[in-house]
Amino acid sequence: MSEIVNFDRFLFAFTIGSHILIVSLSIGMSIMICLSEFLLARTHDKYYGALIRRLVRPFVVSFGIGTGSGIVMAVELVNLFPRFMTLVSSTGVIAIFYVEIFAFFLETIFLVIYVYYGNTFKGRYTRWALTLPIMIGTLLSAVLIVMVNAWMNTPNGFNIATYVASGSSYTITGVNPWAPFLTASTGYEVFHVVASVPLTGIMLLGGFFAYRYVRSENADERALFRNALRLAVALGLIFVVLAIVAGALEIDDLWRYQPLKYAAIELNPVPGNNLPWTLFGAVSGTAVVGGLEIPGLQGFLEGGKMMPGLSQYPQSQWPPLIIHDTFDAMFLGGVLLGLFVIGYAGLWLLKKKPFDHPILAYVFVAFSALTATIMELGWATDEIGRQPWIVYNVLTVTNAANYNTDIYGPGIVIILAYLVIVPFTFWFMARVFRGKPIEVDLAGPVGGEDVNY
Amino acid sequence: MSTINWVFELNFAVFSVFLALFISELMAAVLLLVAYDATKAKVLPYIVPIWEVTGTFAAFWFVTADFAYPSMLIPVATLLAGEILVFLLLIVVRNASISFAELILKGGRISEKLLYQLYGVTTIGIGVVVLVVLSAIVSGAGVTLATLSFSVGAWATTFGSIPYLLGVVLIAVGLAPVFYNIEALRRITIPFTVAGVAVETLALYLYSPSFIGTGLLFPAVLTILVPVLYQFRHTAPLVSSKLVFAVVGTVIVFSLSYLVYPTAFHGGLPVDAVTTHGPMVGAFYVLTAVGAVVVGLLNVLFILVVWRAGRARAAASGEASPAAPAVHNP
Repeated sequence: MSEIVNFDRFLFAFTIGSHILIVSLSIGMSIMICLSEFLLARTHDKYYGALIRRLVRPFVVSFGIGTGSGIVMAVELVNLFPRFMTLVSSTGVIAIFYVEIFAFFLETIFLVIYVYYGNTFKGRYTRWALTLPIMIGTLLSAVLIVMVNAWMNTPNGFNIATYVASGSSYTITGVNPWAPFLTASTGYEVFHVVASVPLTGIMLLGGFFAYRYVRSENADERALFRNALRLAVALGLIFVVLAIVAGALEIDDLWRYQPLKYAAIELNPVPGNNLPWTLFGAVSGTAVVGGLEIPGLQGFLEGGKMMPGLSQYPQSQWPPLIIHDTFDAMFLGGVLLGLFVIGYAGLWLLKKKPFDHPILAYVFVAFSALTATIMELGWATDEIGRQPWIVYNVLTVTNAANYNTDIYGPGIVIILAYLVIVPFTFWFMARVFRGKPIEVDLAGPVGGEDVNY
Repeated sequence: MSTINWVFELNFAVFSVFLALFISELMAAVLLLVAYDATKAKVLPYIVPIWEVTGTFAAFWFVTADFAYPSMLIPVATLLAGEILVFLLLIVVRNASISFAELILKGGRISEKLLYQLYGVTTIGIGVVVLVVLSAIVSGAGVTLATLSFSVGAWATTFGSIPYLLGVVLIAVGLAPVFYNIEALRRITIPFTVAGVAVETLALYLYSPSFIGTGLLFPAVLTILVPVLYQFRHTAPLVSSKLVFAVVGTVIVFSLSYLVYPTAFHGGLPVDAVTTHGPMVGAFYVLTAVGAVVVGLLNVLFILVVWRAGRARAAASGEASPAAPAVHNP
C-alpha cells in the first residue's frame, strides 16, 4: 500500500520540480522583456530591441511548456491526492486556484497579443505597456500557487477541530471561503517566492549571457550581451537582497507556526533558548553527532527565544530529518550566491569590467546552476518538512493519496517524457535565442515574424 | 423556488466554450494530418495564436469543475486514474510539439511540418480521451459506479460507443472546410455533416432511447445549418467567421447539457446531490461573475486586436474592404 503512496509522492514531486525550473525561467524572461521594452522606449538603444526579439522566442517556448506542465500539476493534484483536493474544493482554497486562472488569462491574452500581433502597435511605450500584464500575470500565477502552499502549511477557513475529530468521515463545517487568501504564513511565503523565483530565472539568464558574451566575437552580439548582462546583474542584486530578507523572515514564521518543522530544520533534539547552530550532522538520542556546531548561535540569531525541540513531539510525526541537510545546503549555497552577486555587482560599479573576464563568466554559469539547485532545495525542504502531513496537522499524505495502481504505467511514461522534454526545452530555448543572425534581430522587436506559420 | 442549478449551468457554460475551441483545434489537427501543404496557410494562422487560449479555457473549466463538484473528485480519480494520466501525457506532448514547431529553425533534422503533425496526432489523441470520458459520463458506458471502475473494453463494446466516435469524426470533417474556409472542399461539407449528425443521433439512441427527444432537435438543426449556409455566397463569410463559428459551437454544446442534467451516467448520479453547497456557492457566484467580466474583457480586447491586425494587413496588401469577413476572419 505504501508503495503506491510513495509513487504518488514521487510523481508529483518530479513534475512540480521540473515545472518550477521552467516557470522560474519564464518569470525571469518576462521581467527582462518588460524592463528591456521600457529601456528601449527611453533610450532607443537598438541592442535592447535585439535582446527583446531574442528573448521573446524562448519565452514563447517556456510559456507553452510551462502551461502544459501547469495543467499536469493541477490535474495530478486531483488524480494523485483526491482527498486533499476534496478538502481544497470544499473550502475557500479552491477560490485561490480560481483567481489563478484569471491571472493565467491575463498572461495568455497579452502574450498572444504581444507576440503575434505586436507589429500592429507602433508606439514604443504602448508595446512596453503590453508586457506589463504579461509580467504581472506570470508573477501573480506564482504568488497564488504559493498562497495555496501557505494554506497547506498553516490551514484555516474551516472548522479544523471538527474535521480532525470526525476521523474517516472527514466532516467539513464552518467554511469561510475567503479566509485561505490570508493565512498565518501567506505574507512571508509570498514575499519569499516573489524574491527567490525571479532571482532563479534572472540568474539562469545571466549565466547564459555571461557565457555568450565572452564566447562571441561579433561586436554587435557582444554589445547585446553586455546590455543583457548588466540588466541581469542589476536585477540579480535587487532580488538576492530581497531573498535574504525574505528567508530570514520565513524562518521566524516557521518558529511561530510550524515549530516541529523548525526543530527538524535546525536539528534541535531538545528545546532550549540558547541552542547551538549546527551545520549538517545527525540526531542521536538527545544529542547531535557530526556536523559543525557553533555554540549559542541559534539562540543569538533568534534573540534568545525558546526554540522548539524534536523531543516535544512523537517521533511518528517527525518529518524526514534530511530536511536539515537540504536546508543547510540551501543556506550555504545562498550565502555563496549572495557573496557572488554582491561582489560581481561591486566590481561592475567600481568599473573593473567583470563581464570581460572569461573565468568570471564560467563562475557565473556555475552560480546559475547553483541558484536553480538552491530553489529546488528550498522547495524540497518545505515539502518534505511538512511530511507526513499534506495539510499540516489536518490531513496526512497517506489519507489523501490515490491507491489505484493504474497510475503506475502512465505515471512512469510521464516521468520518462519529462526526462526528454525538459532538458530538450532548455537546449531548444538556447538555440532559438540565437536562431537568427544578429543583423536580423537588430531590426528590433517585431510581432509574429519569427513564428513558423 | 428556482429549480435551476446555476453552479452546474455556469460550469457547463465554461465547458461549452472550451469544447467549441477544442473542436476547432480538432478540425485543424485532421487537416494538418491529411493535407498539410494544401491547408497550412489557412489553418496555422488560426491555430498558432489560439491553442494557448484553448489551454487556458481547459484549465478554467477544470478549476470550475473542482469548485462545483468537490464530492466527485475522489470517485473520478478512482474511476479514471490511468486515463487521466494518459490525457496529461498527451497535453505535455501537444504543448511541446506546437511550441517547438512555432520556432524551430529551418533546415534542421526535425521539420516544422513533422512537429505540427505531431501536434495534430496528440490533439486527436486528447480528443479521443475527452470524447470517451464524455460519453461515459453521459451514458455510463464502461462505468460501474458501485465499484467505481471504468473499463475501456466495456465502453467500446457498448452499443453506441463506436457510432458515437464515428459521428464526431464525420461532423468534424464536414465542418472543417467551413471553419477554415477551404473552398475546394465545399461540396463535402453538407453530406459529411448530415451523415455525422445522423450517426450521432443513432449512437445516442443505441445508448438509450431516452436521449432522443426535442432537446436534440436544436443542436442537430444548428449543426446542419452551418454547412448549408456555407453554400451561399452571401452567407458563407458569416458562418466561416471564426468568432461566429465559436459562438455557434458554444451554443450547440451548451444545448446538449440535458444529456447530463439532472442526472449523469444515464441516471446513475443526480447532479444536484453532488454540487457544492453552503457558503461556497456564494463564493462561486462572486468569483465567476468577476472572472466572467475579466475574461470577457480580455477576449474582447483580443478580438479587437485580431480585427485591427486584419484591417492593417488588408490595407497593406490592397485587398478588399476590411469588413469582408471571408478575407479577414477573426
